[in-house]
This record gives sequence, structure tokens and C-alpha cells, in this order.
Amino acid sequence: MGWLVEATPCIFLDMFAVSLVLVLTLTSQQTAPAKPQQSFHEIATQADAARTADRIQDAIELYSQGVRLRPSWTDGWWSLGSLLYEQDRFPEANAAFTRFAALAPKPGPAHAFLGLCEYETKDYNSALKHFRSWARAGWTGTPNLIDVAVFHFALLLTRDGKFLEALYLLATEEAKKGSSPALVEAMGLASLRMANLPEDYPPENREMVWLAGEAAFYASQDPRDFVRASEYSQRLLSRFCHEASVHFFRGTLFNFEHKAEEAAAEFRKAIQLSPDHAAAMVELARIDLTYDRPEEAFSLASRATELTPGDPEAHDVLGQVLFARDRFQESARELETAKRLAPDSSMIRVHLARTYGALGRRKEAQEEIAAVKLLKDKEQILAPLEDKTKIRVQPGPNKQQ
Amino acid sequence: MIARAALLLALAVGHLPQTRAVPQKDAPVKGSVEAHGPARSNFEQLSRAAEQARNESRDDEAMRFYQQALQLRPTWPEGLWYLSTLLYEKERYSEARDHLRRFLALNPQTGPAWALLGMSEFQTREYARSLDHLQRAMSLGLGDRKEMAQSTFYFVAVLRTRFEHYTDSMNLLMAMVKSDQKTDLLVEPIGLAALRLPFLPAEIPADRRALVRLAGLAVLAMEAQRQEDTEKLFQQMMTDYGTEPGVHFLYGAFLMDQRPEEGMREMKRELEISPSSVAARVRMAEQLLKDEKPADALQLAQQAIELEPDSSTARLILGESLIATGDSTKGIAELEKARDAAPERVRTHWDLLRAYTAAGRPEDAKREKEAIEKLNTQTSQQ
Repeated sequence: MGWLVEATPCIFLDMFAVSLVLVLTLTSQQTAPAKPQQSFHEIATQADAARTADRIQDAIELYSQGVRLRPSWTDGWWSLGSLLYEQDRFPEANAAFTRFAALAPKPGPAHAFLGLCEYETKDYNSALKHFRSWARAGWTGTPNLIDVAVFHFALLLTRDGKFLEALYLLATEEAKKGSSPALVEAMGLASLRMANLPEDYPPENREMVWLAGEAAFYASQDPRDFVRASEYSQRLLSRFCHEASVHFFRGTLFNFEHKAEEAAAEFRKAIQLSPDHAAAMVELARIDLTYDRPEEAFSLASRATELTPGDPEAHDVLGQVLFARDRFQESARELETAKRLAPDSSMIRVHLARTYGALGRRKEAQEEIAAVKLLKDKEQILAPLEDKTKIRVQPGPNKQQ
Repeated sequence: MIARAALLLALAVGHLPQTRAVPQKDAPVKGSVEAHGPARSNFEQLSRAAEQARNESRDDEAMRFYQQALQLRPTWPEGLWYLSTLLYEKERYSEARDHLRRFLALNPQTGPAWALLGMSEFQTREYARSLDHLQRAMSLGLGDRKEMAQSTFYFVAVLRTRFEHYTDSMNLLMAMVKSDQKTDLLVEPIGLAALRLPFLPAEIPADRRALVRLAGLAVLAMEAQRQEDTEKLFQQMMTDYGTEPGVHFLYGAFLMDQRPEEGMREMKRELEISPSSVAARVRMAEQLLKDEKPADALQLAQQAIELEPDSSTARLILGESLIATGDSTKGIAELEKARDAAPERVRTHWDLLRAYTAAGRPEDAKREKEAIEKLNTQTSQQ
């Protein structure tokens, strides 16, 4: 926090000015606890009435009493959690939603609230798990809850290194709500593959994140505005030409524009600056594959799988490269690894079906095709997002297939 | 850096001795709560011990007593407040924030507490919340707490810039300059707002700090009507950073009032560097309206709104341009949209007042007049 302290004009701050006088003049609102003899039903009625009348503190106190009297009161836990959340009292809200989720047969949006509360209390891994559960259950909730939860879900995906998934979610938010500085910042982090949250990335990277975010925003809006995206991307390059992540991002933007050779040049530059940049290798291998440069594609994809053995993308590309070289058995092995790593990716299933077909394993090929259909039916589920965001390179003059 | 941070912190807490009240005669002696085991759980005793420890600058002890007392009485406002302030002073911002939230749940009309919450959130980098809460503090008022008000305004201004509300930020910063606030601390915030760079001062890249400072100093010189200094600073900025986005816009905005033709030339140069600049288009359109070239102004205003449909400023200029070209119906419609998007902007109400009057809509004109009077009253109160 040293940098922030330095940045803060603390000399303005005079605690004296807000000390005793303030406290003595406080008009502390007393809550209205229910009488000890009151029944659960009376308390529940009073709690609902207090909430309706916007007497928040009274409502919180009454709901707390209600759930103490009847711990199985799901509506009470829900109301209590919601009210505490509205007041930014996240640890307490989290406890209430946890009780609700344990009791309710279909917790639904409670998982989104749990994710949000855990985000605020910095329990990020649990938050991500809850957001995933929420997504699997169908992204339920009010439009406002969905917006807030999707945004925070995307932030956590970025932190977790799931940049494409994060960008997909952010793009859906962009389509719904338009630009905002927070969205641009989140897009910048994901675009630059910085596994950080907006709250914790180094302040000296702010300019880079902002410029990348603006470029990503304009490139992904509907209709795409590549002119403005390019304006920011050019500024980004002029300021940070020695950053591999900047070249990788520019390569991605050129891919969006179907400018494969420009994209390839940027990916090459990224690898030159950062020789172990597996993501750039994967993207370059994809382009090589399309432009019939199998040797380089094989070399890059193989290296990428060595560097990031847990990355389904790398195995998928290597599988495709091997397929293109008629090495079907090896291709199948790589694609099976990719499938194991990303079972909900329909694109990997398509590639695997093709390879099984080439191997004459018709039954397995049909199973994969059936799986693709099922996955397409689950379009609202998060897992296949990376397929939706997959960059399609414009076929070149020597295109395969 | 650390030394400077420590110095600033020391200056901040240097005021604290004044906060300590004279110990009460009957207050327990230091450490007395620990000495009286059976009484430890007594709220009254804990609260007295906390107060005494705070008054005697034994902050760690005070915090411990406050925490113990709050366990017995979680809604004790005085305890929540003092514990929060002590935690803030100790740079334990997230804990201060959490206690302030509880305090404010009980006392939502307390401006200074919203201010301290916003400052805590600034430190934990929850910037959106911070801005929201600091602005709430401003609207509730901070009484006669001048230093806290200055801190609040500062944080609001720099956060507005980070959230790209450059004009609002600049207005606040200029008000701070006029109120004799120390301008050296405002140079960088002013420079950032002027160059339209959405960074906090701490986020300025090392190789951009000189540019930002130059811009800030130029604006301050301009504000103080030190013409020669202003020219000199802008010239230096042009020489050193003439290819940077925002630089020609800033110089052009200055020249518009002095030598409009040169101002327009600078704006055109800005558009060569930043082809999507909405601000440059809006400023040029404004000048073209002054020069009675409404058709040219309209063209630029239309481009601006196409680039940034949500910009209330662009919409205002579009409305003015349409009216100037004789299309009052569409002009009024655009002005109404601009007013709805930014109801606090007086100029839009004036435009509408004139437009409604010209269109024979006295009731609507009256409503705008009332809005202007209300806004003027609010401004004078602030």
C-alpha cells in the first residue's frame, strides 16, 4: 500500500474535525427488537412489514430473530442475506445465503450472491465455484443480479487464467450495457492475459490495461469498430512495444479482422520477446495450419503442449496439425487429451469426430457428433464459451480440406 | 518513496493529539481492564478504558478495548466510529471499511462517516464504491470540517477523472483552486483531467509524469490569467510532446478564447493524432457556432454523436447546431435528451428555455427557468 499512501494527500486529513462532536451528535437509530414472548409468525410478519417499509435495520434484526427461532425458515435466510448484501455487509450476508443454499431445494440465484459475497471477502476460489454452480443452474436471478454476477464471474475467470471465457462474458455485458470504465478495465486485463483483478494489478500497468481495454471494447462491439480499435491498439504499440502481451493482443485483434499475416507477425513478435509464450504459439500454429505451413505448425504446437500440458487448446491444435499430416492415431491421442481437459468444448469434439472418421472408428465418431449436438443445446452453459469466442482465420490461398 | 509516505502519514496523524480529550478523573488507569478480570466483560468499563486509551494515544490498546466492547454491544455507534478511525490511521483500511459500513447502517445520514468509508475504499482500490460514497458525503455535507472536505473533494476529483468524467473533475478541481487549496497537490490531477487520461496520480507512468505536470501547470497558469506563463508552458508542451494524444486539444481549447483560428488549427491537428476524438469535434463545433457557421458545426456534432451516442455534451452541441440551422423540432428533441442525460448542466436548460420560448411553448419554458433557478441556488449553497 506504500504507493497509495504516497499518492494520497493525507495532509488534508484531520481526524479531529470528525471526532467527538460527530459522535455526540449522532442520532443512533434504535432497532425495534421483537418482544421475547412473540411467536415466530408474529416476528416473520413484522420482519416483512419492516422490509416493505424500508426500515432496513429493524428488518435485519427481526429476520435474525426469526431464523434463530426457526432455523429452517428459508425465506427468512434469503431476506436476511439480501438485506445484508444491500448494506455491503458481505461476511454476514454470506453466512445467511449459505444457510439458505443448504436448505433450499433449488438455491438458484443464492449461488450468485454467494459468489459476490465471497468476491468481496476475497475468498476468490469459493466465489468462482459458486459462480460456476450458478451458471450450471441456468444463470437465474433478476437482470441486475445477472449483470453484476456475470461481471464478477468474468473478473474471477481472468484471475484464474480463463481469458477467453472472461472476454466472452464481458462481451455479453458490453452488448447489453455498453461501455463503462470498469468494463474497459476488465477487458484490458483479460485481453492482455493478466491474471489479476482490477483491485490488485500493478498501478504502473494502468495505461496499458486501459488502452488494451478500449481496443478490445471497440473490436468486440456490434457492429465491430476496427477503426477505433486500431487507434487504441496503435497507441498501445507505440507505448509498450516491448511487451509480449501487447503483441499477442494485437495479433488477436488482427485475427478478428481476418488479417492473418499481420496477426502472424504479431504472434511471432510475442514469441520473440517471450520465447515460452505458449498462447502465441498456439495461435500462430493455427494460422500456419490454415496457410499450409505444417512444419512450423507442428513445431509450435508441440512446444506449446510441452510448456502448457494442461491447456486443451494446445492439444487441440497439435491434434489438428497431426491430422493434417495424416498421423491420425497421434492426432486422436492429442484430441482425446484435449477432450479430457475440456469436456464441454464442442470444437474439440468436432475435431475428434473427424479424426475418428479418418481412422474408421465410425461409432466413436458418431458419439462425438451426438455430443456436439448436446453441447450446442446447452449454449447457456459456460463451458463451451471458448468455442464461441474462437477466432476463425480466413482461409488462405493454400487452404486445407 | 517510503520515507515520503511515512512523512505524509505522520503529517496526517500529527493532528491526532488534538483529538484526545483530557482524561477523566474517574477513568480507569492504564491497563486496568486487564487487571480486573471479572470486570472484563463489563461494557461500561471497556468503553471507558477504550476512551482513555484513545485519549492517551495508546491506540493498540484502545482498539482492543473497542473491539471487546463491540462484541458485547455490536451496534454501539461511538465504538464503531472510533475503532474505524483508529483502524484507518493504522492503515488497516479494509477493517476500517467494514466497521464503517456497520456504523453507517445505523447512521446513514452521517456525511463524515461516508467520507471516511470512501477514503478507506479508495485505499482498498474499490474505486466505484469509493466515488459513490465520497459523493454521498459531499451531498450530505461535512459541516465545518474543512480538512476533511478538502480530502473528500480531492479523492472525488481524481476518481472522477479515473471514471472519465473529466469535465466534472475539472470543475471540482478549479473550485478547489479558487478556494485557496494548496495547488501543488492539484497539479497532477488537473493535468490528468486536462489531457483526458483516466488514471489516478499514482498510476501515471513514470515517463508521462512530466507531461501531466506540464499540462497541470499550464491550466493553473491559464486559470490565474498569467498569460505569458501559460503560453510558455504550452509551447514547451508542444515542443516536447507534440505527437501525444490530448496535447493539441488542450492547447487548442486555450487558444479558442484567445485566437480562435489558431485554436481551430490545433483541434484539427488533434484529430489527425486522435481521429476519434469527440472532445475536439465538440469544441470545434462550438466555435463554428460562434462563427455563425451552423452547417459545419452540425456536421461535426453529428460525427461526435455517432462516435459517442451517450455523450450528453455531444448531444447538447448537436441540439444547438440543429436549432442554429433552423431545425428547431429536432434541435429541441436533442436538447431534451441532453438535459435528461445531464440534468445538472445549466447551459442545456438555458438552451431549452430559449428554444421553447421561440417555439411558443411558455409552460415548458417556465419549467426550464425554474430548473435554472434551482440549480443556481444549489450552486450558491455549495
